[in-house]
Amino acid sequence: MRTELSWTELLRGAADLRALLAFRASGLSERSRRRLRIAGLAVLLVTIAVIVVPGYLRDPLHNRRLGNFVAISPTVYLGFVVLAVLAAISSGGGREVVPREQAVAFPVSSVTEHLGALLLAPLNIAWLLQAWTLLGLSSYVAGPHHPELAATTVLVWIAFATALGQLVGWVFEGIRRGPYGIWLARGISGACGLGLGTLVVTDRLTDVLDHSPTTDVFIVMLHGASARIAPWLTGTAILLGLMVLTVVAGLVPARWALNRPQREELRLESGIRAARPNPASDLLAMVRLDRASVWRSVPLRRGLFVLGLLPGGVALAGDLTWDLVTVLPGLVASGGALLFGVNAWCLDGRGALWRDSLPASPRVAFAAKTLVLLEVLLVPALITLVLAALRAGTPNAAELASVLAATLVVCVQVTTTSLTWSVRRPFAAELRSARATPAPPVVMVGYSARLAMTTTLVGLLFSATALAGNALPAVLLAVPLLLWSGYRLAGTAAAWATPATRARVVAVVAT
Amino acid sequence: MRGLWVRFGSVEAVRGIDLSAYGGRATALLGRNGAGKSTTMRVLAGVIPPTEGDVLVDGVDVRSDPLTVKRAVGYCPDVGGLVPRATPWEHLQLSARLRRMTGWELRAQDLLERFDLGAAAHRVTGGFSHGMGRRLAVVLASFHEPAVLLLDEPFDGVDPLGVEATQRVIDEAKQRGAAVLVSTHLRDLAMDACEDALVLRGGSAVAALDADELAGEAGARAYRALLD
Repeated sequence: MRTELSWTELLRGAADLRALLAFRASGLSERSRRRLRIAGLAVLLVTIAVIVVPGYLRDPLHNRRLGNFVAISPTVYLGFVVLAVLAAISSGGGREVVPREQAVAFPVSSVTEHLGALLLAPLNIAWLLQAWTLLGLSSYVAGPHHPELAATTVLVWIAFATALGQLVGWVFEGIRRGPYGIWLARGISGACGLGLGTLVVTDRLTDVLDHSPTTDVFIVMLHGASARIAPWLTGTAILLGLMVLTVVAGLVPARWALNRPQREELRLESGIRAARPNPASDLLAMVRLDRASVWRSVPLRRGLFVLGLLPGGVALAGDLTWDLVTVLPGLVASGGALLFGVNAWCLDGRGALWRDSLPASPRVAFAAKTLVLLEVLLVPALITLVLAALRAGTPNAAELASVLAATLVVCVQVTTTSLTWSVRRPFAAELRSARATPAPPVVMVGYSARLAMTTTLVGLLFSATALAGNALPAVLLAVPLLLWSGYRLAGTAAAWATPATRARVVAVVAT
Repeated sequence: MRGLWVRFGSVEAVRGIDLSAYGGRATALLGRNGAGKSTTMRVLAGVIPPTEGDVLVDGVDVRSDPLTVKRAVGYCPDVGGLVPRATPWEHLQLSARLRRMTGWELRAQDLLERFDLGAAAHRVTGGFSHGMGRRLAVVLASFHEPAVLLLDEPFDGVDPLGVEATQRVIDEAKQRGAAVLVSTHLRDLAMDACEDALVLRGGSAVAALDADELAGEAGARAYRALLD
């Protein structure tokens, strides 16, 4: 047996992971640690709330939509696996505990990488929201009795789905890193998309979902809620065993994938880029460089591709109505900002010092970053709306105004917030590897939670305006929100124009 | 430059440096790691504002008019200095645009060829070796023929041909009357390129010398003594 696949190495990998996490934690200030504790407590409280509260809402709500929720539950369980798989694939197998360029001098094994990626998987806005949805839905369906048993099954399912997603993610990454891997990966993605599209068009999606194996998991959860201990215990124990097996099995494709060359990254770094005509304005010159920095980065390209198709695919498959579609642009914008926007100057990397030494107004450089970030958020959001529109039907004036206003407001809002964070708290990040993130994982959790909260709130407000009789409420809601974002953006631009602030940002990202 | 102080919070990176550099001459900034060389260069490039002191670059106050200073300066930073996912040509295009240069393409091609980067002109710089990156940073600093050329560690990790090309760029800048500042750990190379030298230690200037005084074995001993 290879040393790397032995139990000894598994234990050593876990110990190395603890060391890497301690290394990461050592860089946190006391304030950051306090914030982290508060955020962790908040996540715990929300999790407990979604496990307990919905069950007690059934009676006051007179079992409203209970039948629908029972019917869709297995699909939502399956949806979590799909999310876990897509998240792992889009992040090149999973996130890094320590960035590649910093970890290069240390003997970090694929076991540590695999366990680290599993540990970081929940630090993701989509993962948290889906997990809470799953727990809340199960709680409502199961009722107020024995929520601890029902929730245990759901939590084990969430862990299993995450491990399965990770396993598939490594396999996909291994394929992608092989000869012709990029084309194979595109072929597999295309075939999956085509298959889903065929099911939707032929109206067979519901039939397929009705036969989902997750129905058995759902039934085990219901056994727990009804205190039928024997079948619940058997089912949950089997699920737990599968979860452990999947975690261990993931070590094999992780090692395989991580030992293969990063062909796509190497291709992007060594390919020839045809020269374009000289730019016609300072702003265009800056925008062009920033756009190149986005589209030539593997993690950003892949993340934007997923953001452009995944939420729209969910809307398509879920047959969402327009009043629910208003929430999707916020999710897309938050996801887009988390790719690089929350640390926008990291696009310049070590060139930040040189770029700031060029004779241009700092406001032009700021405007370029703003425009590029805004377009990167708007384009996937609009693609999502187009995909959603395929099944949502023709919107009335209120729905159309609400959806468009929600999209514009959340994109501007997220751009403003991201650039404010970028100026206030920059990080050095190369964004070369598909597994890279623009800020340390714990910081990303805070960012994703705050973005999720504000954009979901805005989405829900526009959900309400979509139910109105005309477009006026949506417009009246959008105008002050846009003005407020514009005011904050102007403040951040003024901060960036201050030489001392700019010097601090540039010095950090160029390190 | 008179009485330059630069503080980052409680850290004093530069502590009261005086420096005069003249057109047609090259001045070497020498010293150990953390002596304040790169911070001084960044102030002169208009990238970091001085905390205290008067800094005039080509006669312009760097604090009150950094944009004009940036027009006069060509700066090769000590770290990287390149946008990782842009090509050398795109770097040159941006620089030329912001400096309102016309007909710059031939000079850019010539410089890239001299620094053996012609074949890599349209490849993204993220895939460059350290030496290639250093050579391109020198090209970017010098290609608009600035009145003040600031080269921070231009010889670091560069092969002999790249060193020769850099020395030639420095000579050409001096010939056209530019003031050149070279910050480096490589004393011998600095003495070949420069007429004057300023030795920094702990953020302060400890000696201003003619380059001849730091050349050869005797110069090495004198330099070593200044570092302790």
